[in-house]
Amino acid sequence: MNKGFDSQKIGSVLVVGGGIAGIQSALDLAEQGYYVYLVEKSPAIGGVMAQLDKTFPTNDCSMCILAPKLVECGRHLNIETMTWSEVLDVSGEEGNFKVKVKKKARYIDLNKCTGCGECTDVCPVEIESEFDERLVNKKAIFRPFPQAYPNAFTIEKDIRPCQIACPAGVHVQGYIALIKQKKYEEALSLIKKNNPLPAICGRICPHPCEAECRRRLVDEPVAINSLKRFITDYEMQRSDDRGQTTEVRSQRSEELVTHKVAIIGSGPAGLSCAYYLSQQGYKVTIFEALPVLGGMLRVGIPEYRLPKDILNKEIESILNLGVEVKTNVKIGKDLTMGNIFKQGYKAIFIGTGAHRSLKLNIPNEDSKGVVPGIDFLRDLNLGKKVKVGKNVVIIGGGNVAIDTARSSLRLGAEKVTILYRRSRKEMPASPGEVEEAEKEGVKIKFLVAPVEVLTRNNKVVSLRCIKMQLGAPDASGRRRPIPISGSEFNLSIDMIIPAIGQAPDTSYFKEYGIGVAKRRTIQIDEDTLLTSKDGVFAGGDTVLGPATAVEAIAQGRKAAQSIIAYIKGRKAAQSIIAYIKGEKEVELQAKKDYGELPPNTPLKKRQKIKTLPVGARKSNFKEVELGLTEKQALKEAERCLSCGICSECLQCEEACKAEAIVHQDIDKIIELDVGSIILAPGFDEFDPTSLYEYGYKKYKNVVTSIEFERILSATGPYQGEVIRPSDRKIPERIAFIQCVGSRDEKTNPYCSSVCCTYAIKEAIIAREHTAGKIEATIFFMDLRCYGKNFDKYYERAKDEYKVKFVRSKIYKIEELNGTGDLSIIYAKEDGKKCTERFDLVILSVGFQPPVDAVNLARKVGLNLNKYNFIQTRDFEPVKTSKEGIYVCGAFSGPKDIPETVMQASGAAAEASCLLSDVRGTQIKEKVYPPEIDVTGQEPRIGVFICHCGINIGGYVDVPKVTEFAKTLPNVIYAENNLYTCSQDTQERIKEMIKEHNLNRVVVASCSPSTHEPLFQETIREAGLNKYLFEMANIRNQCSWVHMDEPEKATEKAKDLVKMAIAKARLIESLKELELDLTKSALVIGGGISGMTATLNLAKQGFKVYLIEKNSELGGIARRIKWTNEGLNVQNYLKSLIDKVTNNKNIEIITEATIVEVSGYVGNFKTGFMRAGRGYVEEINSGVIIVAAGAKEYKPDEYMYGQDDRVITQLELEEKLLTPHSAFRIPQSVVMIQCVGSRNGERPYCSRFCCMQAVKNALKIKEISPDTEIYILYRDIRTYGFNEDYYREAREKGIMFIRYDEEKKPVISHQSLNVKIYDEILGREIEIPADLIVLSVGVEPYQENKELATLLKVPLNEDNFFLEAHVKLRPVDFATEGIFVCGLCHSPKSIEESIAQAQAAASRATTILAKDKILTAGIISHIDEELCAGCKICVNICPYEAIEFDETKKVSRVNEALCKGCGTCAAACPSGACTALGFKYEQISSQISAALV
Amino acid sequence: MTKWVVRQILKIIEEGEELEAIIKLSKENQRFKYEVAEEPGGENIKACFACGVCTGSCPISDIDEEYNPRKIIRMILLGMKKEVLSSNLIWMCALCHKCSFYCPQDVKFADVMSALRNIAVREGYVHPSFTETIEKIDKYTQEVRLKMIKAILDKKTKKLSVEAEKLISEIVKPVTKKVRAKGRGKK
Repeated sequence: MNKGFDSQKIGSVLVVGGGIAGIQSALDLAEQGYYVYLVEKSPAIGGVMAQLDKTFPTNDCSMCILAPKLVECGRHLNIETMTWSEVLDVSGEEGNFKVKVKKKARYIDLNKCTGCGECTDVCPVEIESEFDERLVNKKAIFRPFPQAYPNAFTIEKDIRPCQIACPAGVHVQGYIALIKQKKYEEALSLIKKNNPLPAICGRICPHPCEAECRRRLVDEPVAINSLKRFITDYEMQRSDDRGQTTEVRSQRSEELVTHKVAIIGSGPAGLSCAYYLSQQGYKVTIFEALPVLGGMLRVGIPEYRLPKDILNKEIESILNLGVEVKTNVKIGKDLTMGNIFKQGYKAIFIGTGAHRSLKLNIPNEDSKGVVPGIDFLRDLNLGKKVKVGKNVVIIGGGNVAIDTARSSLRLGAEKVTILYRRSRKEMPASPGEVEEAEKEGVKIKFLVAPVEVLTRNNKVVSLRCIKMQLGAPDASGRRRPIPISGSEFNLSIDMIIPAIGQAPDTSYFKEYGIGVAKRRTIQIDEDTLLTSKDGVFAGGDTVLGPATAVEAIAQGRKAAQSIIAYIKGRKAAQSIIAYIKGEKEVELQAKKDYGELPPNTPLKKRQKIKTLPVGARKSNFKEVELGLTEKQALKEAERCLSCGICSECLQCEEACKAEAIVHQDIDKIIELDVGSIILAPGFDEFDPTSLYEYGYKKYKNVVTSIEFERILSATGPYQGEVIRPSDRKIPERIAFIQCVGSRDEKTNPYCSSVCCTYAIKEAIIAREHTAGKIEATIFFMDLRCYGKNFDKYYERAKDEYKVKFVRSKIYKIEELNGTGDLSIIYAKEDGKKCTERFDLVILSVGFQPPVDAVNLARKVGLNLNKYNFIQTRDFEPVKTSKEGIYVCGAFSGPKDIPETVMQASGAAAEASCLLSDVRGTQIKEKVYPPEIDVTGQEPRIGVFICHCGINIGGYVDVPKVTEFAKTLPNVIYAENNLYTCSQDTQERIKEMIKEHNLNRVVVASCSPSTHEPLFQETIREAGLNKYLFEMANIRNQCSWVHMDEPEKATEKAKDLVKMAIAKARLIESLKELELDLTKSALVIGGGISGMTATLNLAKQGFKVYLIEKNSELGGIARRIKWTNEGLNVQNYLKSLIDKVTNNKNIEIITEATIVEVSGYVGNFKTGFMRAGRGYVEEINSGVIIVAAGAKEYKPDEYMYGQDDRVITQLELEEKLLTPHSAFRIPQSVVMIQCVGSRNGERPYCSRFCCMQAVKNALKIKEISPDTEIYILYRDIRTYGFNEDYYREAREKGIMFIRYDEEKKPVISHQSLNVKIYDEILGREIEIPADLIVLSVGVEPYQENKELATLLKVPLNEDNFFLEAHVKLRPVDFATEGIFVCGLCHSPKSIEESIAQAQAAASRATTILAKDKILTAGIISHIDEELCAGCKICVNICPYEAIEFDETKKVSRVNEALCKGCGTCAAACPSGACTALGFKYEQISSQISAALV
Repeated sequence: MTKWVVRQILKIIEEGEELEAIIKLSKENQRFKYEVAEEPGGENIKACFACGVCTGSCPISDIDEEYNPRKIIRMILLGMKKEVLSSNLIWMCALCHKCSFYCPQDVKFADVMSALRNIAVREGYVHPSFTETIEKIDKYTQEVRLKMIKAILDKKTKKLSVEAEKLISEIVKPVTKKVRAKGRGKK
């Protein structure tokens, strides 16, 4: 192979979509030597197949056949699986693309998450489960299904507007979610992460959160503030009852730092800063100028709003963290800043607030009887005697004005009037406060400003005022008040309280050299709150001017973080920011593009908060607002829409022992360089909501087929019990309605191809699940079971399972009042109307192209067909319109799993063809240390026992089991781990192997099917043979099933561990042999399939031998004129033959018959004889591809062969094909479908004949428009986009008449008239025919039997070759190294044959691309001494891996072919066969261990 | 005029009884489907794939099973022109358009019916006055229906229960009288 680097090509491939198609493409390519990026938008790979219960027509468990693929793909060294990711853009060209991928924030560290699931248990947020088709809920932290790869959780999160709006960033939605669960203590501790004064804020905060609450778009915002108050009050009461402080234990305070920090001012900023610093262990001293703590909280707010005991309690809880307090110390007077630093304080926080009243600047404002509001409130709150006048006027419109007004009333003022110079709208005071004030009797005069204080004896007697009007808006955005000249008037009063604002007093700090701004606020760096002085920080009103408590609290917390960073050595502001961002949290993005609100959200009234009756408020300062009761709080919490999905309650962080939760995670955009791209995004289901006549979403018991699939599934919403959603009863009568969103001009005109057979499957499974109790009816138009063995499945459904099939389109479903039962009215074929009642109706919904992928395809410029699927051509089924980009699966048209898998491999083959020059250039190879030889060593066993968080540890006494393990013979070392599968434990296992010279390892944890490969790799990395490993499943088989009996579970776990150790004593190193291989392929059959496979492999540089039995290449295609699409087959065939003939890597051998085949994968020897040569020639090849084709069925019915006017479809094509032939198209043509197909003799559908008839009929109409054509059919099976041609045919006037198998058309001998019974008319029709064309389908060659025997591969009962697995291995045989494609596999179209041939080439390349063949370690071994030569093993081996040595008369295992299934070991009567790794003594030692 | 209508109907019924058991397409008019397709309303006739949703949803066939839209389409497509155009069935459609609404192939059967009626008149299968009469019947039917509904509504406000069957004699008679009066007026 040319591995030249001269080209710019890149040896890696992007696969978009992690369903079965993407997985198959990725696995093929990775095995072929390319590095693969597999991008999947959901959190796990598996696609729709993971949702399915069973697969048709074999009724295999979908998950069981898929799960191993998930593990294989997920663990593949050369597949990088990127889940929860999407492709944003693609640029570049074939061989060298640049791809932008967005990795969405998952909020989980994939390297740490072990998938234990403890996080989901504590998550309070439930959302609809997409995986379970929204029939049930999942948590906001979820894993779509238990077998998911990666086996990790994901958090679904949107933006939480309340949290963004809160200056302190309190996790609002989180504590509301916790209230819903009555987790009040947790809720309080969550609030305190951002706000240490919640009881205070719960009373006085202006709650900007509520202004942003999205509930307001439905009715009213959630009463967030009252909920916060409820929690704190509730918890305070509870701790009072317990006699404990309210402080919740601090988080991670172990890291004790002894550095001292001084805080100046004990207001909300200083208290908050003190709290967060002391929580981290810093020594904090608060210096307070006043005799009391609390700053404005204490002296600026009257007690009826904030009771002193609440304030005291909250301050106390902060002081309890060890905060030192020095009151009556005024900085600048009693102590200087310099002195503070001298006393050893490392940093200072200034939070001195804004306590200086602003002046009115009017004459006589210093007279007696004028008391500034701030001073008034301070005196009142300090307990000084405060006198009020009888007639008090307050000037200002803020909260201070209202507070003083209401306080004045309480102190005995008779008349209290507030003057405000603007209107009510501009008032800054909280509307609720204003309302209460007015209720209490406060009068407010708007648009009035004071002009002069009039005094008598320097005592206030009246106030001269002027009326104002509003002008243009000023800088604050409010309309500026303008005095109305001449409107002056006098107010007679005896006290004036100006409350027009306050400012900080920063004169001392200015002197000290700290930068001060215009409004006397301290200048700070906004990100760090660092002032211009080193080590001095400031926050709160000192910095902001008068602001809210919550803003001060936020700054106090921020300052604490900065101070910590500063003390830890980050001196400059920039390095502090970097530290905080790195260590703490990412700033919330303040964007507002929220997700959609759920439609039809029911209205819920906001809870009314009780207040003290107005009459009871006189002359006292009792708290006015009384808060929510618990009942109210729970109701109010329910109003939260959880619009942010994850509420950030942080409970998962607490629960996750692996510390895998990363709430600060962000989306990342990465760029990939790839040589090729494969699109495998799958499909979207049709949403039947728009077909309102079916009542989907209106009637609970109308479900879609995929929903029903989940209902059937054991992992589904009802654990596999077939019950209907409305009342969870087992439905007795179920109906399937076909073609919902398919074959309908109003929705999707194309056929969705798979619905008929999946409906049959679901009907059968529903019956099986209910022991035949369910009666199923399928309403259909044409039953399209065209796939391999599908018709037999259909017949079985009718005969064995008594599924009723009714040929009628349903127009409407009606619910019968109150019962949940559904009524369907329909017309039978004869016109008779029927009404039937069903318990459950399933809508068989069709496929649509996936919206995201369509957008991507448009962006990249790929051609789409009119239905927005990727446009492909018949000869290039996996190619898009852009070179180097391929497509597979449902994105190029609705299709079933096998066709999807074929296309997936086919797309891989095309990509591999493109990139074969750079094969092997991007892949990773793992290098292991040399293996330690342990033969003859005494077993030294290391045992690792897993807690699996609490999955095992919660029920099984793991330390006890570990101690028990230590007592067992040969156990050198035993330990238990929190998670044995975690990355650090892998390192530990390796260390322990070295430290204790272990030569066997036992892990007791979960399922070997998912985790054994991981541990095997770990011990291999430590130098042990990977088979020196044994596993005990103490989770799935023990702790999970014995949750209620922990003691017994522990005993059972001991037994399981004992058994594993018993076997471990006897296990041995097993060898995986490396065998050479021949890098060439043999392709049998020179038709389109064979040539396609040949050419693909040859282009990749492999030598290919193409054997054809005829003298010319081309196969059955030589007789076909057009493809369905109308492309010229003969031209294509000619160019294909040219390419094959001229490729130097291809050797064509014609007129040859294969006579013998020997060898095995990598080294086949095939003997063949050419016509006319009497000797056998031999080909050596690494792989064999069988593309033996099939032939047209030669009918003996319908006068074929007796009358020249009766011909087959291919004969018709030949006639139409021959230029200038004598053939003239007659006036009336009758085509008869299903001739020789779907009958007792050939029970299969030939799949393409319906389309062939439509195609030829359309061709006839094109040549001879007046010819009348009648197509007599049983079901028209123009699946997929072929439905378009069916419609075109009808529109052209081609007449389709259905007949029943029992009432076949009859041809009269002389006239050639065809008689057919028309079910619709209920009468016989006689059609005059000039030409009768029989759609005869295909028949496999008789020679298949000999070929199958030579190749040792199976045929099915119809003589088609039988693949290894009908769904997931459609081109492989169970025998490795041999592949199948084309018509010899089953009837199919040219397009499908090409895709399958490409798939066969891809599968073959996975072998040929390697340099060696690695055999399995666990294989069978036959002891020749014991072998009696009975040959039982030879006959029973499913892999043809046992040969019989005729000279020695013994059986011998072919190690390259053996899969280690153990069938021979079980069957051998003399005990000569042994499955290595499962030897007799190994198994029996386990059994004895269990029994002893 | 009335006598003429009766004669026509009798003729249709008689001919209907003469139907042969086997339909010989050689005797039928194979161009008929194209003719219908060219008539306004009949454009989509050929697209029919005989799913039967038209029959299933048809309120007329609820009352009379003989009336079977799918069957009529089939007859058109097979070229049974004479049988279709002379059939009394084509006059039964109430033009409610339910069939058109549900039809997955957009055949618009109710419009096809109009097309057939036009052809029938044009080609002399019925006298033009026949359609006029049908149209009148439609009008009177609506009138009767409206009156019955009004009567129910009226009784509903008076909280009286009412049976649809009893209303017939109550409502139909006055309408018939009115029709007769009108007829006399014309004379």
